[in-house]
Amino acid sequence: MKNGRLSEFAGRDGTRTVLASIVSILIGLVVGAIVVLIVGLTSDNITLTGVWEGIRLIFAGIFSTGRNAAGGLSFGFNPTNVGNMLFRATPVIMTGLSVAMAFKTGLFNIGAPGQYLMGTMASLMLALGIPSDVVPAGLVWIIAFLGGILAGAVWGSIPGLLKALLNINEVIACIMTNWIAANVVTWAFDVSNFKNLAENTKASYVYRTTYNGVQTPKFGLDELFPGSQVNGGILIAIVMAILIYILMNKTTLGYELRACGSNRHAARYAGIRDKRNIVLSMAIAGGLSGAGAALYYLSGNTEFFWNTYQSLPDTGFNGIPVALLAANNPIGVVFTGIFMSMLDIAGLQLTSLTAYNEYITDVIIAVIVYLSAFSLVIKTLISGRRKKKAVEVQTAAAVEDGSSGPAGPEAADSGPPDVPDPDIPEDAQSRKGGAEA
Amino acid sequence: MAAQPEYIIEMLHITKEFPGIVANDDITLRLRKGEIHALLGENGAGKSTLMSVLFGLYKPEAGEIRKNGEVVRIDDPNDATALGIGMVHQHFKLIDVFTVLDNIILGAESTKLGFLQRREARKKVEELSERYGLHVDLDAKVESITVGMQQRVEILKMLYRDNEILIFDEPTAVLTPQEIDELMETMRGFAREGKSILFISHKLNEIMAVSDRVTVLRKGRCVGTVDTKDTNKQALSNMMVGRPVQLEVNKSPARPGDTVLSVRDLTVPSRIHKKDAVHNVSFDVRSGEIVCVAGIDGNGQTELVYGITGLEKATAGHIDLCGHDISHASIRHRGENMSHIPEDRHKHGLILDFTLEQNLVLQRYKEPRFQRMGFIDRPNIRQYAEHLIEQYDVRSGQGPVTVVRSMSGGNQQKAIVARELDRDKALIVAVQPTRGLDVGAIEYIHSQLVAERDKGHAVLLVSLELDEVMSLSDRILVMYEGEIVGEFDPKKVTVEELGLYMAGAKRGNTGGESA
Repeated sequence: MKNGRLSEFAGRDGTRTVLASIVSILIGLVVGAIVVLIVGLTSDNITLTGVWEGIRLIFAGIFSTGRNAAGGLSFGFNPTNVGNMLFRATPVIMTGLSVAMAFKTGLFNIGAPGQYLMGTMASLMLALGIPSDVVPAGLVWIIAFLGGILAGAVWGSIPGLLKALLNINEVIACIMTNWIAANVVTWAFDVSNFKNLAENTKASYVYRTTYNGVQTPKFGLDELFPGSQVNGGILIAIVMAILIYILMNKTTLGYELRACGSNRHAARYAGIRDKRNIVLSMAIAGGLSGAGAALYYLSGNTEFFWNTYQSLPDTGFNGIPVALLAANNPIGVVFTGIFMSMLDIAGLQLTSLTAYNEYITDVIIAVIVYLSAFSLVIKTLISGRRKKKAVEVQTAAAVEDGSSGPAGPEAADSGPPDVPDPDIPEDAQSRKGGAEA
Repeated sequence: MAAQPEYIIEMLHITKEFPGIVANDDITLRLRKGEIHALLGENGAGKSTLMSVLFGLYKPEAGEIRKNGEVVRIDDPNDATALGIGMVHQHFKLIDVFTVLDNIILGAESTKLGFLQRREARKKVEELSERYGLHVDLDAKVESITVGMQQRVEILKMLYRDNEILIFDEPTAVLTPQEIDELMETMRGFAREGKSILFISHKLNEIMAVSDRVTVLRKGRCVGTVDTKDTNKQALSNMMVGRPVQLEVNKSPARPGDTVLSVRDLTVPSRIHKKDAVHNVSFDVRSGEIVCVAGIDGNGQTELVYGITGLEKATAGHIDLCGHDISHASIRHRGENMSHIPEDRHKHGLILDFTLEQNLVLQRYKEPRFQRMGFIDRPNIRQYAEHLIEQYDVRSGQGPVTVVRSMSGGNQQKAIVARELDRDKALIVAVQPTRGLDVGAIEYIHSQLVAERDKGHAVLLVSLELDEVMSLSDRILVMYEGEIVGEFDPKKVTVEELGLYMAGAKRGNTGGESA
């Protein structure tokens, strides 16, 4: 009985998805450890002890508490690390949500970096431009946050419109709008009079919203994780993830959006306005990316160097592996987003405590990105093993009672031959015959 | 070890399993040299699997294949070709942008120093097409020739490879009655020449007309092999389904009422070519009658339905439905009085990755009973889905939560029929509602459509199957090149007569012939 429930749990699709993601992550970490090993062995200033320390930090960097009196690594709960992890997770959760939500509706939103940049620009300009001695800082924060969302949404809807009206592939349009965003943002800050804003002793061109007294409330998190940059942004991100989950799975609008994503023709056939929904999907996705930027830059801890923005923000691209690892489940995105920033923290620990540098964690992230694309394959492998077992059981049962209900795969023109045809049971014909009589 | 074994190919005790199903269970099939052997069975009976085993696409778990009495191994299609086995697949395996000649020689090109020897090949193909009366334009691109001609290309491909065992997988599905006759003649010619033919079909007329022997499969098992001359259609269909089947549609005369759908001068553009796919078409459908649009595939029937249902914008004309002008109405608005069983169940009819219950409310999720303030009411949808599944006998692995992709074609179609008929609309547009379905399912869907008619609904049926047209309809409209070229009473017209109109050889005034 207990065994039956366990195997039912293991056979569930969701379970397999989670397993596949965990396998991807583990392989990524192992590969990271191997890189640490190779680097350590080939470099003169890293001893074998150093290599071992590096490997331990790769797996458990988040629990690092520095070095003890004896000079060895010490581990334990480190509130600063955890707080910083949650802070860094916030924007990547949002871009992950953005990509995941677009994926669910059949769109590949590779435009998250551009939407993120536009969100950055709008929220910074609003947060710095509305004087907080006239308008309450809290209200400025809300305006800037909404402005970031709106800017991202507008930017996201451009590829959406091109796709809906002209059938231009959204991937291409997204890549182009990314670069347009990079240059628009550079130009806009360049011509703006924000250029000469400077805080304390910092040089200009650096924007920090605390200059105007605007920052995200902490909601007491700073006391939970003292010494870290954490703030209420992570809570907002989690709430957004839950809202997106509800939107996609519980509402008629979500049903429409997913219908368009799964089969645009069938959605149209059913009278669903497919074009509107494609634009709407991209706008929501863009808004989420914009919200991620707003939460990051309104935090009060972060600075924006506009003149370096000739490149696209990693946070936007990192949304893709975050979404893939979470199998596009909005709730899962929260966890994979936190995991990604945990790797970041591990990288920082590597840099500060050993002779390694943090780029090793980029290797790990890169491996995980590749593997997350393969996570479908891994999932199939996992289910393949299970299916084989199921067939053995089933054929054994069929031999016992002598009644198998074979239905040829030729009927399943809809799928590959390994998709079993579950219908046409033994009594199929007799029941229908009976109904007729 | 006789010099001339009785059978050229023997498939003995073939068993092929797929996860969860035994597709072929101990099947034995023996093919004599020079015979036309039909393989009959419903969808899912295992016909295609068995042929795929013979053609080397699947490896059987048990059983052996013999050629001329000797055991042979067929691991891939190349082995099959080497043994002289050729196959015309149901869906042609041609490269659209290649010429006919290039398609024929592809994979068996003769080369000299790496250069194609097209001239030699052309001579051989020309000889073959002359000898068997298979006329094709060797220099035309495949994309520009008719389906019937493409099939001839596939046949020539087999002949070019000197195959002597020819497998035809549902070859008549795409052909006109005249083309079917030609194909039958060609097949008989092959048999006379000593080639052996395996002919897969579920169409009893054709099997009775052309085959020497019939092997019937049911649910992966061999029901028996009979000589065609000793059997009849009824006996074969009973063998195939496993119970007595009603081949004729049982229906009383129609009692047409008010006009439900009125189409006037409708013109719909084509997605494929520059001309109009539907040109100035006018007709009415009244309540309580089944009007059937007959024609060869690609003569504008699809676009006519698109125009009526709103999937494509009409460029001219008027459509009135239940007295309202819907010429420019949205799809959802039209759906208020119309249900639509679409031609392509995978493209339009279903969202394959959604569950059955989600598919069953595809148009209705916004109705108050299925949602509350924009939130989907899962329990009510579940209840409704269970009700439909039971009433229409839709079979699936996990009931309402089955992912539709995993269901068989027949049950997918049943789900669509259930959904559309339950919406209870004044007009039902049904496009090839029984395509690819087996006798049992066809019987069921036909009876449902007649029941709808008797309830006083108007049915507009588009079908490529003349049998269906003749047995189901109360009025027949024939479409040819985007126009309606004749209107007939099914009781007063013959299949041959319809065929002439469908092929464009004859045309009459609308309504003229039936009177």
